[in-house]
Amino acid sequence: MTSSRTETLVDVTMPQMGVSVAEGTVVGWRVGVGEAIGAEQTICDISTDKIDTEVPAPVSGVVAEILVEVDQTVEVGTVMARIAVEGDAAPNGDRAPAAPAAEPEPAAAAESAPAADSAPAEDAAPAAAADPAPAAESAPARAHAPGRRYSPVVARIAAEHGIDLSTVEGTGRGGRVRKQDVLAVVNGTGNGHAGGAVEDPPLHIESPYRPDPPAPARAQVGAGGEASGVVTGGATLPRMRRVIGERMKQSLDTAATCTTWIEVDMSRVEAARAKLGVTALAFVARATIDALREHPALNAWLNGEDYARHEFVNLGIAVSLGEDGLIVPVIHNAHELSVEGLAARIKDIARRARARELSADDVLGGTFTITNPGQYGSIMATPIINQPQVGILDLEAVIKRPVVVTDQDGNDSIAIRPMTILGLSWDHRALDGALSAQFLATVKRRLETLPV
Amino acid sequence: MATLTYLQAISAALRDELRADERVLVMGEDIGVFGGAFKVTDGFVAEFGNDRVMDTPLAESAIIGCAIGAAVVGMRPVCEMQFADFISCGFDQLVNVAGKMHYRQDLAVPITVRLPSGGGFSGGPFHSQNPEALFMHSPGIKVVAPSTAEDAKGLLHAAIRDPNPVCFMEHKHLYRRIKGEVPDEIYETPFTARVARPGSDLVVIAYGAMVEVALQATADLDGASVEVLDLRSLVPLDEAAILDSVARCSKVVIVDEANMTCAAGAQVAALIAEKGFEDLDGPVVRVATPDVPIPFSPPLEQAVLPGVDRVKEACRDLLAY
Repeated sequence: MTSSRTETLVDVTMPQMGVSVAEGTVVGWRVGVGEAIGAEQTICDISTDKIDTEVPAPVSGVVAEILVEVDQTVEVGTVMARIAVEGDAAPNGDRAPAAPAAEPEPAAAAESAPAADSAPAEDAAPAAAADPAPAAESAPARAHAPGRRYSPVVARIAAEHGIDLSTVEGTGRGGRVRKQDVLAVVNGTGNGHAGGAVEDPPLHIESPYRPDPPAPARAQVGAGGEASGVVTGGATLPRMRRVIGERMKQSLDTAATCTTWIEVDMSRVEAARAKLGVTALAFVARATIDALREHPALNAWLNGEDYARHEFVNLGIAVSLGEDGLIVPVIHNAHELSVEGLAARIKDIARRARARELSADDVLGGTFTITNPGQYGSIMATPIINQPQVGILDLEAVIKRPVVVTDQDGNDSIAIRPMTILGLSWDHRALDGALSAQFLATVKRRLETLPV
Repeated sequence: MATLTYLQAISAALRDELRADERVLVMGEDIGVFGGAFKVTDGFVAEFGNDRVMDTPLAESAIIGCAIGAAVVGMRPVCEMQFADFISCGFDQLVNVAGKMHYRQDLAVPITVRLPSGGGFSGGPFHSQNPEALFMHSPGIKVVAPSTAEDAKGLLHAAIRDPNPVCFMEHKHLYRRIKGEVPDEIYETPFTARVARPGSDLVVIAYGAMVEVALQATADLDGASVEVLDLRSLVPLDEAAILDSVARCSKVVIVDEANMTCAAGAQVAALIAEKGFEDLDGPVVRVATPDVPIPFSPPLEQAVLPGVDRVKEACRDLLAY
């Protein structure tokens, strides 16, 4: 056997990182051509519009080819490199067509068979020589993910939904596929199939359409109004900006977006937040969660004709990454958290977002979003809905204003109160204006009646 | 509703039962005039007399044997073991006589044996044990272990009213540390598990004092959603609730304060391996006291008992798996 050793090439592909990611950019290769690498060892780092992550080598071997250069962006599934694997299995693989129908019998069984047959030794020998074919078959099958074992729950969910686990990116230890990873795929595809309208792609999967990159020269002139310095490398928009642009346009093209505003007296919030040492956003988040529980129509996803309300609130919080763009990490099961708990989680996700430490799980599954760009003094906005959600709440600056207040005897007077304007963009396909107004009124009532 | 300590809740249940049902009597070492080693029955002898609040000799076999006889003729005795550890002296009466009476002779034995159990206070090897698994292993005996004041009262009411022998594991460390709102009236807490905190990423299964440890250890685990399931009853074991949590969370940490081998958690782990296999997304992890006697030395005792840090570490490790 050793005399005819050859190599098998195993592809390293751009992994699918969650359902809404269609492409990724190679940030750097950890190994070069000709270097050895072990299975599950990081072969390269990639960046997607959701997260940055590492790609583990699918097998142990020697890097034979690197097909995607650093900074190149390719679609999910594109072969990025090939790893040469050496082994006894390979020569038999050449003969595989001889026994194509053979079921993937465990290799061990194939090997033990000749041993068990050893009594009629002479006769068995030729048969045994032909037998190794099934073993050869199992080798390439395993080559997709050697050493990858799946827990019972992952295997079961994959079988129930017809998912090829070798295409699922694992976020567990050593790239292990966890239940969350396979569920993320299920939730994506599940929504896609549920409607039955095959021609409508699910809204949260990026459209295959790619707009042409903007004309470089003119774009520079347009953007350079306030600064004469030439921005380096700025021939096309940065990747994240481009993706945000696509998503926002897609949302506006999809939803019947309306915006409703309400004024809120933040006196009690200001008093309470000073006492607890947390931000007003945490109070608004808590009030929003309570309002969502009261008006579950807004805690929902709308995919084409598929409308699903959620029992739990997974609250997305838009976090600015400065000029790079914006990301919306999700606080899962936010309804279980107190104001202090929400404040701590908001702080944590904002820090991790800015440190680029978010995982795929952190940005998936949001059921409603809050955006809070008010720190520069702006007072109103018309936020764009984060698809497939049906509403987004905008918190802007809290500003002291003279307002008319009425005491318990019905006498009016003018008082100075910290006021804010909450804006709710909502999808007229999913609900109507009266409900959005009721929702805002509930948020307002909860904020204005906070116990002090 | 009143706010009671775990110990006051046990006293309240006993007092309510003595008032409500003349068949109920309590017996044990120093429980009468002295009011019990932990003062659970303080003042009882003055209210109910020494016919119903009986000081007994230092003979656990006699206490349980007498109780069995009284139960067979229609009484509802509640025996106090001064420390759960001392039950070994009454083992034969409890396991062989009480546990098998109904099978052999069709006679109900409605006795309750209160077992002040657990360590954490430098009680040393004879005053710190958790012998519940011995009785889980013996057919015919129910075993319950409350973790809150409300359940301590409700489970004791239910135990006294149950027609079977019931071991009531009351954790000494919780006596004065745990407080809670307890309904004034008599109510029976079912012998089922309770979700102490719902979650979805991992479930910690515990009972007795370990429930509080589990809650503290997982209050903030890097944002993970951790469920805590309080078993409350070990026999019967609430299989449906356990499997339900496993189906939801797929990762399981089981905490026992008892010595590891064949502890209650081992039974839970076996159940999950057999009936929850297809829901698992990681190894079933156990945290328990190693198989050693409980040391008297405070630092050594803290080193062997499962604490917040050990549970936290086990959960972190499994969450990352």
